[in-house]
Amino acid sequence: MRKKLLIQDLKAIPYLLPFFLVYVVFTIFPVFKGFEMSLHEWKLVGKVDFIGIENYKKMISDPFFWETLWNTTKFVIYTTPTMILLALGLALLANLKTKLKKFFRAAYFLPSILSVSVISFLAIYMLQPYNGFVNTFLHLIGIQAEPFWIADKKLAWVAIVVVTLWWTVGFNMILFLAALQDIPDSLYEAAEIDGASRWQMFIHITLPQLVPIGKVILLLQIIASYKVFAQIMLITGGGPGGTTRPLIQYIYEVGFNKNLMGYAATMSYALFMILLILSIVQLRYQRKEN
Amino acid sequence: MSMPQLAPNIQDKTQIRQKSLLQRNRDSYLWIKVIIGLIAAVLFILPVIWMIFVSLKPDGYVTKNPVEWFLPPYTLDNYTRLLEESLILKWTWNSFIVAFITTLLSLLVTSLAAFAISRLKFRYKNFILVFFLLGLMIPGEATIIPLYEVAKSLGLIDTYAGLILPMIASSMGIIVLKSFFDNVPKELIESAVIDGCSTFKLFYKIILPLSKPAISAIGIFTFIGSWNNFLWPYLATLSEDLYTLPVGIPVFNSNYSTAYVLPMTANAIASIPVIIAFLIFEKQIVKGISFTGIKG
Repeated sequence: MRKKLLIQDLKAIPYLLPFFLVYVVFTIFPVFKGFEMSLHEWKLVGKVDFIGIENYKKMISDPFFWETLWNTTKFVIYTTPTMILLALGLALLANLKTKLKKFFRAAYFLPSILSVSVISFLAIYMLQPYNGFVNTFLHLIGIQAEPFWIADKKLAWVAIVVVTLWWTVGFNMILFLAALQDIPDSLYEAAEIDGASRWQMFIHITLPQLVPIGKVILLLQIIASYKVFAQIMLITGGGPGGTTRPLIQYIYEVGFNKNLMGYAATMSYALFMILLILSIVQLRYQRKEN
Repeated sequence: MSMPQLAPNIQDKTQIRQKSLLQRNRDSYLWIKVIIGLIAAVLFILPVIWMIFVSLKPDGYVTKNPVEWFLPPYTLDNYTRLLEESLILKWTWNSFIVAFITTLLSLLVTSLAAFAISRLKFRYKNFILVFFLLGLMIPGEATIIPLYEVAKSLGLIDTYAGLILPMIASSMGIIVLKSFFDNVPKELIESAVIDGCSTFKLFYKIILPLSKPAISAIGIFTFIGSWNNFLWPYLATLSEDLYTLPVGIPVFNSNYSTAYVLPMTANAIASIPVIIAFLIFEKQIVKGISFTGIKG
């Protein structure tokens, strides 16, 4: 009996081993390595000194850590509700009874497949003052303002939020669209017989049916937004004056420009903990839904 | 929203009349909504269209009239110039080969493991499954600094292997494929086993072909994800020869002044392949998102 079990185990090993190896080396091990690094003064090359929890103490009193964490949180606050409303609105449009619906869906999703470098570059050039596409278009329709989209503290956030929405709303739109198409027709038929108006049906049937997927999107969106980095670094460089610099950019600068890999790992750990809590909440919620 | 169908047993005329009133009410605003949808669609694709038209302009072209960007003269000189004078062709090749091998290896490794968990009998299976799914809670961005150290100590920095290997193991892939493999009908598997089918044959002759939709969805996502990946290739490459497109494109920002045409041509070269792939695979991509909920 025991021998038979062992043979079965051995048979499974070749199937599991390749995944196991890359997974342990590149996904699991870095978590522990990061903890080790956070307890050391760790340079890009060479010297490693054990310093206990010094890096953690430094983090708590580092104003830039708090500033960039707050910037990232601001990004989450700005983009999450707007993202959900826009995704829902676009999903409703892509679900209209028209021959154009496939075109709508493809158009709303198209930016999502572009690389972050492409969309950032596109944003920089479209948002140039004086001869950028957006400003010249504003002039064409009679608005004689000259907004500095990237150099102005407030407008830089507007630019980042709008570009991010444009770039990433497609995924959430499709999740909403799939949920819309899953709502049974019989619900609308019953409401129609009861004399419900279109608006009443939307409020009392469509919206409640979308709440579960809406919650999933909300949590996925918060998690994804806490990881924001590339488009901000490429569009504003974190500026003007650090007003848009997100935590991951600061981690990168501390690690690679200031050569403080141990301290960078410490701040990564803080981010990791935030994301871990959010993903546990998310997985719990999804399990409950299923 | 689909049109409600009248239940056949309803004969009451007032109800039927009410219904036709509702249907008229239902359609009366449709055209306004379609126009809003159309305007939104144009706004969404306009930047991409603009990018392509700018790439067709003579080098150094600038205009204060936004409409003029779209008017002739057109030229392909920027493309030939970029392809000849810059490393963009090399970067495109790097992006392609890295995305291709990452996708292939990821599908292979992930489907083998998912197959074992779904179909083979062995001890500690649940423990292993849970262990493999922990990755869902480990965001790559938060472990990128130690990952860099790991890759460095394995000599993987500035190599193709270094760009590929860390991106292979996908916990999401395990979940999706396992649930797909679980749904392959038992009778099919039993009859194959009775016919003397070996375990490996069962995997690649029966389970894999039946799971094509899941495999292709994950494959497309892995490919696009890798093609567009920025943070890891940005850290893991040092020599320009090894850049992928997303890492290489920002180089044009500093090297080629702030003129519009060449940077937008670089953008177009990086985007046209994925746009074509998107137009071909749009259906699978949309389906894939709705059954996996995979992001990015």
